Amino acid sequence: MKFVIQRNQLIASVQDVMKAISSRTAIPILTGIKIDARNHGITLTGSDSDISIESYIPAEEEEMVYVEEITEGSIVLQAKYFSEIVRKLPEQTVEIEADSNLQVTIRSGKAEFNLNGQDAEEYPHLPKLQTDNSLELPTAVLKSMIKQTVFAVSTMETRPILTGVNVTLKDNKLLFTATDSHRLAVREMNIETVNMEEINVVIPGKSLNELNKILDDTDENVEISVTNNQVLFRAKHLNFLSRILDGNYPETSRLIPDQSKTTIHVKTKELLNTIDRASLLAKEEHNNVVRLTTKGNDLVEIIGNSPEIGKVTEEIAVSSIEGEELKISFSSKYMMDALKAMEADEVKIDFTGAMRPFIIRPEHDGSILQLILPVRTY
Amino acid sequence: MSIQKNKARIIFHIDMNCFYASVEMAYNTDLKGKPVAIAGNPEERKGIIVTSSYEARAKGVKTTMPLWQARKLCPNLIVMRPNFERYRAASNEIFRMLFQITPYVEPVSIDEGYMDVTEVEGNPVELAYRIQNDIMNNLDIPCSIGIAPNKFLAKMASDMKKPLGITILRKRDIEKKLWPLPVEEMYGVGSKTAEKLRAMDVKTIKDLAYKDEYMLKQAFGINGQRLKSRANGKDLRPVDPDAVHDFKSIGSSQTLPHDTTDEKEIFHLIDVLSDNVERRLKRKEAAGRSIQLMIRYHDRKTITRSKKLPSYIEYKEDIKNTALELWTKNWNTEPVRLIGVTVQDVIEKKNLAEQLDLFTYEKEEKKDKLYSTIQQLSNKYGKETFKKLNNEEEKDSEFLRTSFQKDFLDDFRK
Repeated sequence: MKFVIQRNQLIASVQDVMKAISSRTAIPILTGIKIDARNHGITLTGSDSDISIESYIPAEEEEMVYVEEITEGSIVLQAKYFSEIVRKLPEQTVEIEADSNLQVTIRSGKAEFNLNGQDAEEYPHLPKLQTDNSLELPTAVLKSMIKQTVFAVSTMETRPILTGVNVTLKDNKLLFTATDSHRLAVREMNIETVNMEEINVVIPGKSLNELNKILDDTDENVEISVTNNQVLFRAKHLNFLSRILDGNYPETSRLIPDQSKTTIHVKTKELLNTIDRASLLAKEEHNNVVRLTTKGNDLVEIIGNSPEIGKVTEEIAVSSIEGEELKISFSSKYMMDALKAMEADEVKIDFTGAMRPFIIRPEHDGSILQLILPVRTY
Repeated sequence: MSIQKNKARIIFHIDMNCFYASVEMAYNTDLKGKPVAIAGNPEERKGIIVTSSYEARAKGVKTTMPLWQARKLCPNLIVMRPNFERYRAASNEIFRMLFQITPYVEPVSIDEGYMDVTEVEGNPVELAYRIQNDIMNNLDIPCSIGIAPNKFLAKMASDMKKPLGITILRKRDIEKKLWPLPVEEMYGVGSKTAEKLRAMDVKTIKDLAYKDEYMLKQAFGINGQRLKSRANGKDLRPVDPDAVHDFKSIGSSQTLPHDTTDEKEIFHLIDVLSDNVERRLKRKEAAGRSIQLMIRYHDRKTITRSKKLPSYIEYKEDIKNTALELWTKNWNTEPVRLIGVTVQDVIEKKNLAEQLDLFTYEKEEKKDKLYSTIQQLSNKYGKETFKKLNNEEEKDSEFLRTSFQKDFLDDFRK
């Protein structure tokens, strides 16, 4: 195997596949990056067996030449060393050559590294997914759907299914749902053309976080295909394969109240900043709790209180308050996470009682919903 | 509430004389002049004297003495089971009277407390007599009062003359009144400490006052320094009316009727103790985050082992399971004499926020209507309108728990 490659393209690809590589893995060869050289281009692969990422660098694209002097072949290199070496090479081109004894030489300018490689035949084969059952989505839309839901997944392994985002497709509606049982984030999206059956899978939150980091904000589409235990996201020059969580995701739609006792309309940013200030005195050991009290029909009071530190009170003018008076305590962190996910200047918050969930939605957009369970104080 | 510092203070220590026995005598005047003792569980070995009247004490009956021994010393001893509700009511009434004089009252237990009367107008000695007479006339309960510039000296003073004593202990009286006393009579010196002190050739409070500070610190740590300065009449602790609000742990312990290796018996005891702890947590409307198990073996060797939990607990089952886990891990299979179960890192539930759960909130919600009604009525009529019932409010038949003396303080916590 041999090729000469543009260093910037190589760095970007290595960085992408590194997202899937864990230094602690039960399968030693997975600490390596697999390099496949074919005449049409180079493919790098990284995997931790939960997530696998393939990044492709074409030999030529749009009249740019990225890879030259290709002799086909494959090799696996220690990811930790290879990624550092590539980053620090002196010149813009890099020559990589592997001999039949798995000895690899990396040359750039006057620098020459000799590394011990591993046999690519020993690298696990990634499952091949059928692609005729798939769904296409603009990358920017997928990224925002991830960002608006994934923060709400559980970090506790007590209910493993809740560490994932439930992705469903039904009646041309794509739905992302995440909950850690204290708050719930739902984002929906109408899909016009679907050549895919219904889906209902739970994708680990960690996978989606990594996917979100790797995907560029482009208008190009991402293709999503699902099998029994894997989901594949295919973007330009990138395949992202993730395990799917086993088990049934709890039915959450019936837990979302549809009536409201008190409704507050408020500027997102102003409420966010006020909660942020109140949270300064609502520390971890108290669940970051702040208290919200309605005052008449256009004022809301937010209080943060830590008996041993101090207290903060702030009144915030809201656009309007409808319904009953309300006093409710909740986690400032959950509220801030939810408000940040809104992507809207003004939000509507529907409360259904001091011990019941409340719902935050953008004022003129029904596609996103954030639900938070309050905190009971004694 | 804070008290102005840097000013000579006048502190009272008020100590009810033979409190439980006095309350019983006030209830039933026929008992007056007779040897009366209050004991935990008269039938069993663990039945011990909790308190006794002066008539009984004259015959040698002492607190913590086993019942059989007391009966031997005083055959006509009248033994009664404790009537906690009576004591609680009497105590509440006494402290209510004290709080009318000044807000700076610090209840210490059911039958004693400190008062800072520096700001109270009038002659302090006359005030002390007035308090003593009022308690005697209204409740028929004798008390002794110590008058001193700080809490330690006031406490020592109230002890000097009983019953119905009023003792003034000024700094300049220390040499004559305090220093000659054997060191074990000093407040804060228990039998263990006294033993160690005697080994260091400290026999009287005066010896302690002059003892080398470094040696004391080596033997007793910071407490050594504290004891020395107390012996010199120094004590800077203010009378803190809020002190009753501080509690960090709630526990219950019990001696077995006989030393045992029978795990069934021990499991049963742990069950009973966990039940006690749950009840006391409920009373305080509190929850805790660690559990400590104390095991005292037949040879008095005592170990304590604890476990910190990820979340606050308040229910018997959780307390018991953690205690049993500690038992299984730590018991060395030798015969056991006493078991104690304690919840630590205790906080009041009103300071504890409970994050509701999406999948269970509807269950909680059923209680919601009740809570909000309680809230509304409490806002209207005051916080005391509703209190959660403890299924069995301290029943007289319950065996005595030393903790009762401290639990009574809850009445001042609202």
